[in-house]
Amino acid sequence: MCMNVFTHHNKLRLLQFFVIAMLLVSVMITRLFYIMVIKSYEYGSAAVVIQERERSIKAPRGTLYDRNGVVIAGNKAVCSISVIHSQVTDEERVIKELSERLSMDEAEVRKKVQKVSSREKIKSNVDKSVADDIRSLNLAGVMIDDDYKRYYPYSSLASKVIGFTGADNQGIVGIEVEYDDVLMGINGSINTLTDARGVEIEGAAEQRVEPIPGNNLVLTLDVNIQMYIEQAAKKVMEEKNAKRVCIIVMNPQNGEIYGMADVPEYNLNEPFTYNKDDIPADEVTQDDLNNMWRNFCINDTYEPGSTFKIVTATSAFEEGVVSIDDTFYCPGYKLVGDRRIKCHKTVGHGAETFKDGIMNSCNPVFMEVGARVGADNFYKNMEKLGLFEKTGVDLPGEAGSIFHKLENVGEVELATMSFGQSFQITPLQLMRAVSAVVNGGTLVTPHFGKYITDNNNNIISELQYEKKEGVIKTETSETMKYLLEAVISEGTGKNAYLPGYSIGGKTATSEKLPRSSNKYISSFIGFSPAENPTVLTLILIDEPEGVYYGGTIAAPVVGDVYSNILPYLGIEKEDIE
Amino acid sequence: MGNSRHTTKNSFWVKGGFIDYQSVFLTFVIVLFGLMMVYSASSYRAIRSGYPGTYFMTRQAVFAVVGFIGMYIISRINYRYLSNLSVILIYIAIAMLVFVLILGRASHGATRWIQIGPLQLQPSEIAKPIIIIYMADACVKRSKYLNTIAGIFKLIFLPIICIGLIAVENLSTAIVCFAIVVAILFVASPKLFNLMILGAIGVGAAAILAFGVGYRSDRFDAWLHPETSESGFQTMQSLYAIGSGGFFGRGLGNSIQKLGFLPESHNDMIFSVICEELGLFGALVVIALFIMLIFRFKFIADGSVDSFGGFIITGVITHIAVQLIVNIGVVTNTIPPTGVTLPFISYGGTSLVFMLAEIGLVLSVSRQMRLTE
Repeated sequence: MCMNVFTHHNKLRLLQFFVIAMLLVSVMITRLFYIMVIKSYEYGSAAVVIQERERSIKAPRGTLYDRNGVVIAGNKAVCSISVIHSQVTDEERVIKELSERLSMDEAEVRKKVQKVSSREKIKSNVDKSVADDIRSLNLAGVMIDDDYKRYYPYSSLASKVIGFTGADNQGIVGIEVEYDDVLMGINGSINTLTDARGVEIEGAAEQRVEPIPGNNLVLTLDVNIQMYIEQAAKKVMEEKNAKRVCIIVMNPQNGEIYGMADVPEYNLNEPFTYNKDDIPADEVTQDDLNNMWRNFCINDTYEPGSTFKIVTATSAFEEGVVSIDDTFYCPGYKLVGDRRIKCHKTVGHGAETFKDGIMNSCNPVFMEVGARVGADNFYKNMEKLGLFEKTGVDLPGEAGSIFHKLENVGEVELATMSFGQSFQITPLQLMRAVSAVVNGGTLVTPHFGKYITDNNNNIISELQYEKKEGVIKTETSETMKYLLEAVISEGTGKNAYLPGYSIGGKTATSEKLPRSSNKYISSFIGFSPAENPTVLTLILIDEPEGVYYGGTIAAPVVGDVYSNILPYLGIEKEDIE
Repeated sequence: MGNSRHTTKNSFWVKGGFIDYQSVFLTFVIVLFGLMMVYSASSYRAIRSGYPGTYFMTRQAVFAVVGFIGMYIISRINYRYLSNLSVILIYIAIAMLVFVLILGRASHGATRWIQIGPLQLQPSEIAKPIIIIYMADACVKRSKYLNTIAGIFKLIFLPIICIGLIAVENLSTAIVCFAIVVAILFVASPKLFNLMILGAIGVGAAAILAFGVGYRSDRFDAWLHPETSESGFQTMQSLYAIGSGGFFGRGLGNSIQKLGFLPESHNDMIFSVICEELGLFGALVVIALFIMLIFRFKFIADGSVDSFGGFIITGVITHIAVQLIVNIGVVTNTIPPTGVTLPFISYGGTSLVFMLAEIGLVLSVSRQMRLTE
């Protein structure tokens, strides 16, 4: 026994060994201290990154109001439904229930459910009641998130102006896209801790970032005026079996647009449903839809025809080359160079003053006046009236005008331009030019946006638009108003006459290209009160059938519109003899 | 002087004597704490695999009961009787290790298990106490061999065969076994010089094995660059768990990393879960329990009536200490990743049962120790 004792030497060695082990343990403790205290924040937050899942909370999009606070575009609470593949326990039941309740093709739902992705969206914009039904089924792996869908209470009202939004509530066309930054809110989020499969851990603390709703936009539009002009436009479109009818109502003093109709309009709540039956539903292409959404008033150009004589006359007065009593003779045509350009009255107007010429809309008179002005000065005045630039309206996709280059303008071109042919402008460019003519010479920016308001409808900012004063002389403006009132009271525009109101205006009948097609655009531009206009209206009837004279079919529509909207706008009847 | 009145030197059973209740108590505490942590770390996995949440914990508890019974029985056996069996035992161990290798080759895959009915035995775990007994016995009976290098090689010939067989499939267990051999030689041998040569050879062999075999050098990459290395995923998950523990942890049961992020959360990586849930504080308490246990064992070794008992305890201390250090070293990415369990705590039946058997050996030594006070 004594031979085999655990000797002092052995004990010392064991102690040494013990000390070495303790030293190594101390190294481990130091290392633990380093990771768990010094680097704790770093590793802890890196861990949270992999453990956390962010669920976004949709921010409601800002509301669109008309000038009187009527909601034009609002939000409807809807839900979006998605599937988290790894959490689905009963795949067949999920496919069956979802395809039935969402009325979707089973194969399509199956494809999405079986796709191995962290989260697959099945359908968005699902009605809240349908979503609640699905929620009550408690299907594992099916996620239902609250969302907002854009809702347009007036469906088709001002559709081409307002535009609509896509599945993610981003603006696609119209005001919705132009003011997307204003209207779009900032989505919030809920951060929840999940296990490695992405299943939320019950009872774990949530981090919530509240969404910030988008700002509201108050428009210059007036729902009542818009409704009225759409009705009037629709009525004349049906009567004349026209392709389209546009009506724009604007305040020429400041450029506020009260209404802009381009019928046929389309349903903003169903923007992908074609609005006419000239094409079978299954053959409707994206181009057809684009055309349906197109706003002729700003996206397209046309030959304005006789309404443009306002610009010719204005240029002549600005240059001082004509006075209202100058006399002219119309034999029914004018020889320009080697060309014989006809008047619309082929037998001729005979001898007439300039005032008669504008009341008769006599082409030879304006060809003569245009020649007196000359191409250089004509272009200079057109430029002052903003015809070579875009109007700056707050809508996307505005078209620019198409003119001959100045150096290419010969006497024939000058003659035809004098009565509104051989160039193209947008209807809104004409509105803007005529506004400057009748408001005393201020070039305004036509616009729709008035105020931006916050969630509680407090005004955040009033939108400002460019104004150029004194582009024409005040006297020219006065003369033009006088002459254009005479057109209504005695001339070609007498069908727009409205008892008790002073109205000025000009008719037009433009033959569409090619001239042989015998297709016309009948139009009329009118303003009231004639002395100090606050309402300027343009109507275009595209390809009317039967009688196509602007004075006969377009002017009465404006008379009818004015009989309703002038009293509505509080413009008092005057004592007119 | 001795407690020889309780027993005679050659009787198989021992009765009475000094039972080190402190060691028994500490072992109980660590094993119970281990069951609790196995439950916390494994319930998510158990439920996901379609078992009740207590599945792994219950299985481990059954092994703990078996282990404690075994521990008691072994504590009653006169450990000196084992010295006669040491050679037979090590041949059995070699046979089992060869068998499991052949079995593994036959099934075209690495296996560390022998299936006996419903029981899975892990021969490498069984080999550890056998190597301890064999080395302790050899160092007593052939103590003269310790004086020469050639003698030492003869002494450790059979254990090295064992370790070589283990290293084929499980380098980390082989390293633990090698550490046991070295530690017992260190305590037993009169000179250090010979040992240093042996140590140098051992380190060299380990390095060749580590860098020579493809998937293991991969581990070195994972160790040095865990953020970018493909196989560093497990290490990063472990560091996330430990780091998010902070000083006091998330609270018992609240680990998030155990929810599928941390592989082996109830096994090799259970210490990460302890850190995440109980913080640095909890980790230090666990380490303190182990230190107290080892310290108790050293006390028993110092008082053992013969060097055989002292060497056995040296082996057991080495086994526990090396696994503790290596395990914490791996989860904290202090050393290259290798699969070593945390003694008494990690899930694993064979390991727990044979670990407790080793405690039984220590207690058996304590029954016969000299109490000088």
